[in-house]
This record gives sequence, structure tokens and C-alpha cells, in this order.
Amino acid sequence: MEADLQAHVAFFLSGKASTPNLDTIDRLNLRPALFAGYRDLTRLRYDFPLILLKDESGSPCVESLSGLIDGILDKIARGPDGDRIRKHVLRLEQHIRAQAATGKEGKLSALWDKAAKELGKNDKPVADSLARARANLKVDGEVVDCNGGMPYQLIGHVWALTQTQRARRFGEVADRLIIKLSEILQADFANSNAGRSAANLKRTFGSGPMDKFDFDVMSKLLSKSAPKENLSKNRKKRIEKLLTTLKTQQFFPSPHSTSKPYVFAFESCSEAIKAYRERLPKAIELSKAVAIAELEVRGEYSEAKHDRLFESFGESGLDPRDMALFPDYLARIHAEQLPGGELGSLTEIMSLNLPIKVLVQTDDVIEESPISNGHLAFALRSRQLARMALGMAGVFVVQAPASSLFQLRDKIVRGLDCSGPALFSIFSGVVGGHEQLPPYLIGAAALEARVFPAFTMDPGAGDDWASRFSLAINPQPELDWPTHRIVHEDANCQSVCEEHPFTLIDFVACDSRYSKYFAVVPKAHWRDWLADAGSVIARDKRGDIDRIDSVPSVLLVDPENRLHKAVVTEKIIREARRCLSMWNSLQELGGIHNSHAERLLARERSAWEESAKAIAVASVPAVAVPSPAAPAVAEAAPAELTTEQSSDEAYIETPRCASCNECIQINDKMFAYDGNKQAYIKDINAGTYAQLVEAAENCQVAIIHPGKPRNLNEAGLDELIKRAEAFM
Amino acid sequence: MKTSATKQLLDLYKEQSALEDYQSGVPRWCTGCGDNAILAAVQRLCRDEGLRPEKTVFVSGIGCSSRFPHYMKTYGFHGIHGRAFPVAEGVKMARPDLAVFVNTGDGDCCSIGAAHWIHALRYNMNMTVFLHDNQIYGLTKKQASPTSPIGTKSNTTPRGSYLDALNPLTVSLGVSNVSFIAQAVDWIPETLFDIVKAAYHHKGFSFVRIIQRCPEWLPKALEPWLQDPDRVQLVHHTDGIQLSPGLARVYKNQVEHDPMDIHRAREIASNTETIPVGILYRNPNVPCYEDTRHSGALRTAEAIRKNFEAELDKYSV
Repeated sequence: MEADLQAHVAFFLSGKASTPNLDTIDRLNLRPALFAGYRDLTRLRYDFPLILLKDESGSPCVESLSGLIDGILDKIARGPDGDRIRKHVLRLEQHIRAQAATGKEGKLSALWDKAAKELGKNDKPVADSLARARANLKVDGEVVDCNGGMPYQLIGHVWALTQTQRARRFGEVADRLIIKLSEILQADFANSNAGRSAANLKRTFGSGPMDKFDFDVMSKLLSKSAPKENLSKNRKKRIEKLLTTLKTQQFFPSPHSTSKPYVFAFESCSEAIKAYRERLPKAIELSKAVAIAELEVRGEYSEAKHDRLFESFGESGLDPRDMALFPDYLARIHAEQLPGGELGSLTEIMSLNLPIKVLVQTDDVIEESPISNGHLAFALRSRQLARMALGMAGVFVVQAPASSLFQLRDKIVRGLDCSGPALFSIFSGVVGGHEQLPPYLIGAAALEARVFPAFTMDPGAGDDWASRFSLAINPQPELDWPTHRIVHEDANCQSVCEEHPFTLIDFVACDSRYSKYFAVVPKAHWRDWLADAGSVIARDKRGDIDRIDSVPSVLLVDPENRLHKAVVTEKIIREARRCLSMWNSLQELGGIHNSHAERLLARERSAWEESAKAIAVASVPAVAVPSPAAPAVAEAAPAELTTEQSSDEAYIETPRCASCNECIQINDKMFAYDGNKQAYIKDINAGTYAQLVEAAENCQVAIIHPGKPRNLNEAGLDELIKRAEAFM
Repeated sequence: MKTSATKQLLDLYKEQSALEDYQSGVPRWCTGCGDNAILAAVQRLCRDEGLRPEKTVFVSGIGCSSRFPHYMKTYGFHGIHGRAFPVAEGVKMARPDLAVFVNTGDGDCCSIGAAHWIHALRYNMNMTVFLHDNQIYGLTKKQASPTSPIGTKSNTTPRGSYLDALNPLTVSLGVSNVSFIAQAVDWIPETLFDIVKAAYHHKGFSFVRIIQRCPEWLPKALEPWLQDPDRVQLVHHTDGIQLSPGLARVYKNQVEHDPMDIHRAREIASNTETIPVGILYRNPNVPCYEDTRHSGALRTAEAIRKNFEAELDKYSV
């Protein structure tokens, strides 16, 4: 074996550099070659920063700055000034993005005005362009960049809007019921003796010629003529109780109540569960009050029927669809809290279908294994969470890095508005050894490298996995790793274009904690056996590697964008294989390379090929022989169902009856209407054959068929039979 | 289960009415009159949909058809000639929770009430309208109506009517905001019921012209169509009415038509040789006037008092 290969293989297997030709990557400040173009994100146009919009009128609750700017430019960047306006407004956008990246937060309007002031200070055309754009900025909201606080800000914002909508919906229902119930009590009072008393009549008369009106006489008149029935004591008591319950509830802000509404956002799952348990009896009472009040205002409440039913109302908890009336709970935890009691609480929420939305934020996805001693277990917690959540039926799940949250905004809204539990497992990318890289890039890289794949599980989207589970947001989801084109110059200044997969190894290579697992190979020692790590893993997966004939490597770049190649140890490759295995499982769930489907397809294909072969052999004779199966098929075809009656019996084509009364008027014992008010022969013996024939002749739609006479002694039969022939 | 446990609990003891519960009195229409078929279809609809009598109102104008509210055991308003629509619009505006039906005739709707008809179509208020079209003034013993075919001999046109009949379908389809236009005939009860049901379920002004026989004054007028099933064209679609095998066997003249296609609807409606039966046009996206005009604010005692005071203030010196 060549010395270089020997040294590279030794490093691959042991992690020890046995030759000076393998250098550490620590001091070189390297990053994956794919990141060469993403040095300064503020100079690029992408999803972030986001604007959290407060408008509830059906418009989106979150928008990207670039999306908003594009919308404005579509309106104003036209005509001869179009290019100039576009250039200036895009400069403003870049300025705001740079501000947001430095951690500056605030309303878009404030950041916009500040940036516009700075840019247009000594430049009139810029000031003009920005003023025109500002006039078309119709929305406002907090500006948030992709950082550690963003997942909670975004999800908290959407959750708050969902709760506001629920509060409004509930308020409409409660206010309507309170008014209607109060009106019932008011009407009862008006009908009572107290309501008809002279004093009350005087009180309700208002201002005016009071001395010209005799309220005593009026009271007597009303007392005599007014209805005597008043509300029963039970009903009155029931309505008063309903009013108290509706007015004093604390689930939503109420103008009728002085008590503070409950808080629904918590910092742990256990606190959320505790609050849910404590408030459940009150929720059942309110839900019951709404149901009874609906019956009361419609006048449908029957004590005999409903009292018993409502006695046991909510004994086994509330239906999730009923719970949708109430605010949902929001719990925010960090993945580090899970090994404590929080994992148990989270499991309880998901398995009991509690209406609690949980945000689990993971800040470091490749932290060292709890076993330590150099043992690696990348994405351990997120994998555990994903497995647990997918195993529970009825849990809405979103797993994604923070960088993809804007793309998943509709799913987030849906998850927060669903009636059961929801889990949002989000990777923020703010902690770890990626000091040089912004969280957005870390998040996007984790998604590309399948370290933190994104998926959604929406139980309300359908009854099967194909409808519920989606991997669509992942780049090139059909592949093991997404591939990208890397264009670089070779030693002869010639452009070289190569396709490279972006794998877990690339992701780990930019984390300083794991630099010891990589060693840079000087360019002079680059050999053919230095294969990209993705292809080595692919060969290994296929079982193509009998002995080590190539060493996995990755392409990296330094701050001057010079290309480097680093070999990687087997330990990292092992982690990459594990990561890929998890990704492949998700692919199967998402219907990509599903092994069951592929086997079935192979079986069907083989059967089809066999059958095609058989047909080809059978069709060799020049004269086609009729297949013996053909007549059988023809015979097997179901005969059209006919319900024709015998012409000897009288009958009516009832479905065609136009309910015109002709036959009923001739003999209502012989002819009658069915449940749909269409005629049929009720009793053939209740009338004469002459009446049957007359009915047939009078029938406007000619659907009465008199048949043959039953009584052969009836007078004038010959003539009647002749007349009846037209209706046989 | 798609509905919640509480909703099911509320529906558990919901009173169900039989068809007889919607019947009131014995209709005084002539024997063989097509109005009977319409009455039967509507009563069946009320039963099947579980319409509560105290939440249902039938409004009519004047004419044979307008006796309809008398035979329904619901709320009713037998109005004045040609004014069924304004009355129904007032009812709907004040009580949007009620199911409002209008029964009007060819004279009531297309002659004296034509202006109200046009604007009722334009308002698109959520109500179901049945135009009982027997092509004659029957209650006043045979005068030509706007839909009488040219040459109809009557008391007012003893030498035969001079003008072509007005086509209520093409007129309706020319009005802006039109949202549901269908045609039925009284002698095919199956499609009559299907159309009545679809009209009821449409949110908006559902206008159904029902061609009906008048056995007293025009007994032979519709004979050619009754005798020859091919002169009835069944208009069907997956979004319209579907044909049962029995019906498809008898009526072989069929056309598939998407009810959202208004141009094709106008074309079909213009056909005078055959009678098209089915849903010609349905657009659920046209806004209803009552929704546009209602502020959505609750009628609290304070709001009612305030509005009342404001009205009185207009007359105070």
C-alpha cells in the first residue's frame, strides 16, 4: 500500500495523524465549500428577517421583509423611475436586514424610518424613492431575525393571534346568549304582577305628561288581559345560573367580569398540565352552560329529557372538538429540560390528547453523547422526540430548523389552531461550535445534511400517512443527501464544476468541537482514493466495499475561499450512517423508496411481464381463436334490473306521481298517498274496475295501469277492457 | 364522527316532524293542478330538512299559486299582487334566522311584480323562490299572462295573444348578481324535488321556475311535452342534479352542463323547442344583500333604545 494511502487510512480508522502531511483544521478557520458564497448573509435576499403582523382580518400573520418589499416594488417601481426606485428600495431592505442581524428589534415602521432617514440624508432621489415606498407600506409589526429567540417569538405570536380569534368567536356566542337569556327574564318580568304594577309602568314610561296618564288603570287593564303563564321556577333559576356562569367565566376577557382571565402560556409542560387539570371542571361547566343556553334560547330545553343528560355532562372529560371553544395552552421548553421530568409530562400531553401546544427548542443538534468518553450520538433528542410524536395518533407535529419556519407558516397556523396537542420541535442553531456562522445558515445546513430533517404530521389532513405526513420541505427529499454544484478554479486557472452531496460530515466539519476528527490533506497529496464522503457512505450502504480502497473526504474553504480537502475519521462516518438510516426511515413514512410499495411493485411488474409473455405466446397463430372466457364474461354481466309489473295486475308508477288528486277524488279508499304524498293502490278491492280505468284516463301523467279486471261479473267489462288497453 | 359530543347531545331530542305536520287544510286548487305537485315536493323538503314550522315562512302575492302559504302549517304571508318579494325581503332582513320561501305566479311575478322580481334577483337575499308558471291567469278565469305562448286565446285576447311569451329564465340570467336559476316541471316529481332541495341549500336568491299544467284553462297547452319525453331536456352535472337510472331510461334527451357556466346556461335557457329541466346556473360566491348590509352588531337593549331614540329625534321639533 502506498505510504500516503496508508497514512490516510490510519487516520480514518484511528483518528491519529501518523504523517506530517496531514494537518489539523483548527487554525485554518475552514467551512464547507458549499458555504463559500454565503459569507455575509445581510447582502443576500432571503426569507429573514420576518415581520410579525398583527392584522387579524384573514391576512397572513407573518411576512418576510423581502416579500413585503417585492409587493411594494410591484406597485411603485414602474415607468422611467422604476429602476431607480427599485435600486434605492432594495438598498433600504439591505440596511434593515443588517440592522436586524445585529440584534436590533422593533417595529418595521420604526426601523424603516430610521434607515430611510440615514440613506436619504443627503440624497434627494433616494429620499424620494423611499418616501414613495413608505406610502405603500400598509402593514406593520415586530421585525425578528433568525436567532435563538425567534422560534418562540414567531410561534408565540401566531398562538396569540389564534387565541384572539377564539376569544372573539366565544365572545360572539356568549354575548348573543347573554342577551337572549336576559330577554327571556325581561319578558317574564314584564308579564309578572310586579312588571304590570302601576309603579313599574310609571318607571318605564320615561319623561312626558305623566299627570295625564293613569297608571293604576293601565295596570288593572294589563293585569286582566295579559297572559297568565310565567316562567317556571326551575327554568328561571336555570337561566339565572346560566347567566352567572357565562358572565363570570375566566377563560376569555369579559366585560361582565371583574376577575382576571387565566394565563395560558407556560415555561414547562408540567405547569401547563397542572393548570389544565385545575381548570377542567370550570371548562366543563362553561361548555355545559353554552349547550343548555343554546337550547333555552331556542325554547327547546325539556326538563324531562335534558335534565338527566346534562347531569352527567363532561363526566369523562370534554370532546376535543368541544375543547376547541377554549383557549389552548402553550408550553415552551428547551431540549435540555427533557431528560428531567419534562419528557414524562410531554408524553402525557401527547398520549392523553390534551389541548396543549408544546414548543421544544433544540439549540445544539450535535452535542456530545451523555455517555461521553468520546461517544457520539448526534441529534439524539430530536430523534427520540420525532419517534415518540410519530408513534402517537392524533398529535400535530412540526419538526424543522428555525430557518424553515417561514416556509412552514401555514402549517404552524394549522397546528396551533387544531383541537388537540401539537408539538413543534425546532432547531435554533445558536449553540455549538459554529461560532463563525449565523444561526440561519446553521439551520439550513442541518436541514440539508439530514441532521435535523423537517417534516409535518397533520392528523386532520386525512386518514392515511400519505395525506398526513409530509417531507416536502426538505431539499431533494428523494435522495439520501442533496447534491450541489461546486464550481472552482484548478491549478491551471480553469473552471471545474463538480457535483457534491452535502452530508452530515460537511455539517460537522464547521463545528470547532469536532475538528480533531478531520485532517487537511495538502493539495500536493490529493489522490484518487480521496473520495467524497457521501459516495463512500453510499457504496458502504450498497455493500460494495470489501476492503478499504478509498478514504472519505470533504471539500472545505478557508476565509480566502481557497479549496481544501480533509479526510475524516470512521467515527464521524458511523454517525453519518446512523443519521442516514433515520432519514431513510422518514423517507419510507413519506412514501419515498417505501420498501413495502417497492416490493409490491416488483411483484406486480413480474406478474405483468409473465402475463405479457403468455399473451405473446398465445397470439402466435395467425387466426385468432375466440377466448373461451369471453362468453362467460358476457354472461356474467349483470342484466339491467327491471321492475316491470305483469300487465294483468293494476299498479301505479308511484315515483312519477305528481300528487294532482285526480285518482284520490275518484276513490280515496282504493287510492292513497304514501309518505312522500305520491299515489299508490291501497286496496284494489275497495273499488270497481270502472274506477280504475277512469283514474287511468284522468291521470295527467298517465302512470296508472288498470291491468285486467278481477271481478269478471262487473257490468260493461268489454268496453272497460278496451279503454284500459291504452294503459297496459 | 365529524360532530362533537355536545352537538350530538343537543340534536338528540330534536323534534322530527312528519310530512302531515306541515299540511294545513285541503288545497282548493283544481283537481289535476300542478300546484299540488309543488306543494307535495315542498312539504317533503320541510320534513327531510327538519325545518321547524316556527322558523319557516312562506310569502306569496296574488293568484292560484299564492294560496300556497294557506296550505303550509308554518308562518305565512299572503301579500298583495306582485309584492311578494318586498315582503319576503323585509322578513329576511329583520329575521335572517328564518327560512324564507316565496311562491309567486307568472302574472304575479312577471307582470305586475316584474320590477320587484328584477331587483330581488339583484339583491340576492338568501331565500327560495318558486315561480308557479301555468302560463295563464287562472284565479280570475283565464286571461293571458306574460308567459302565455303567442296565439293563446283568452278572455283578454279572444283572437289569440299577439306577443311572444316572456322567458323568465333568460330574463333572470341577464340580471346582475343572479346566483341560482333552475327549471322544473310538475310532471317529473323526482327532479322537481331534487331541484327544490338544491334551491333550498343554495345560499342566495334561488329562483326556480316550475312549469305546471292548468287543467282548467289550458288543459292541452303542455300536451306535446307530456306526450313526448324527448321534448324535455334533462340538464345534469356532478355539481347539479344527477339522474336516476329510471329517469334516464324514460328521458333520453340529456345534456351535461356545469352550473357555473352562465353563457351556456343562457343558451340552454333560450331553447323553446324542448323544456330544459335542471339547474342552469349556480354561483355560491355572489354576496347576499343581508350579509352586506348587516353590521354584525348584536341587538342589545341599549342599541335598540339608541336607534329608536334616533328615529324619534327626526320628528321632534
